[in-house]
Amino acid sequence: MYAYSIPARPMAIVFGTLGFRPKSLIPTLKSTPGVEKLVFYSGADRSGPEAVQAVAEARKEVIDYCVRMGIAVDAVDLPDPFDFKGIEKRIRADIRKHRKEGRTIAVFNIAGGTRPTSSAALLACILEGIPTVYIHDLTYEEIPLPLLRIEYSQVLSPEERQILKVLRKSGGEGVTEVELAELIHKHKATVNHHVKNLVRKGAVRLEVHPADHRKRVVKVEESTELLLGDDE
Amino acid sequence: MRILVSTFMDGDEEKVLLAMRALPYDQLALIGAEDSEKSDSMKMITKLEGLSGHDVDFRPIPEGGFMEMVDSISEHLSTLCHDASTGRRNQILLNISGGHKIMGDAALFAAFRLGIESYHCDRVVTRLPVLSGATAKDRFTESQMALLKTLAERDLLLSEVLEAMKPNSKASAERTIRELRRLRLLGSRVEEGKVIVFLSPEGHEAARAIRFAK
Repeated sequence: MYAYSIPARPMAIVFGTLGFRPKSLIPTLKSTPGVEKLVFYSGADRSGPEAVQAVAEARKEVIDYCVRMGIAVDAVDLPDPFDFKGIEKRIRADIRKHRKEGRTIAVFNIAGGTRPTSSAALLACILEGIPTVYIHDLTYEEIPLPLLRIEYSQVLSPEERQILKVLRKSGGEGVTEVELAELIHKHKATVNHHVKNLVRKGAVRLEVHPADHRKRVVKVEESTELLLGDDE
Repeated sequence: MRILVSTFMDGDEEKVLLAMRALPYDQLALIGAEDSEKSDSMKMITKLEGLSGHDVDFRPIPEGGFMEMVDSISEHLSTLCHDASTGRRNQILLNISGGHKIMGDAALFAAFRLGIESYHCDRVVTRLPVLSGATAKDRFTESQMALLKTLAERDLLLSEVLEAMKPNSKASAERTIRELRRLRLLGSRVEEGKVIVFLSPEGHEAARAIRFAK
């Protein structure tokens, strides 16, 4: 009699989006070794009873599969599966939470769910550098997507990141460049240089001061909120 | 000229109209599956654009594999970026909310690849965080880009890589290789005692992104 030992693999977490078809998610559980937990996002258009039922059935099938396979499962019910920004923020918060706990996110399957759900998941993967897969509609074959992560350190200088941080803390009102210079303890000309760069990159915009038309205030673009996420 | 590009399929008129109302543009260009061009939604949008004296430019995107769609959309966006008649650069605004799911995702991927200002227009308009100056082309040095381009054609022996990178010194070439390896864009293997350098899937994507950005 022989004893075989299987080399230990790190336990992995799989993320995914789910619509009506469990077949668009379950192949990833099969192809990923050592899955410890599945986190998946689904939601239906509440105005359509058929859609609500179909999504509920798909959720149940995926949960049943995980229970049978001994995989922990976190089924996130999206309150609005068409709220692109809300979904993206939720997914990124979950990714960051798992990372903080020291867990490895092996892969994110973005094939299922509504169009906004899938696109929001793809955006979160690009920004967080998560390996991403799609499932082919007909063959159910997994297709890895070669994403290049957006590294803030390469896109934004430390001073630019500091300015964005201050602007986000200031709320939506925006601040003048003079106020910014005081807040980050830098010369006004230096701040002006960095603000110009941030405008060129599309991270901030300049608006006329509501009380004094001779002044301009710097405001963070909504897209920058998405870029940095809640923790930055 | 400002060109509003939107992913599109029949039934997406509300998303396209929302983008048309919210985003300033001179010309409208739609991309979608071939059968979308003859749809009722397309007819309605064409009629509206006709009232301003403009045609709608429709570009069919073959619905093949995901990356093939990304390449096809990237190629089209790159073409639209340049105004051949004036030699100037057009400003592109991309709405990714229309079309089949895979089309929207492929467009989002292409937007990051090329650094195209992008939006998701479905009930509300959300600007996506595609920053200018954050594309692959902006992130690599000239020698890194040259190496990616060379290795995109075929795997090479280490000695061939060093030769291809001349007049860079051996030390400089090896540093470039190390940097790209650290970014997981290339790897190496030993065959018959010789070191072969190759691009990872992400390395190939970086090479494609640089090619389309140019």
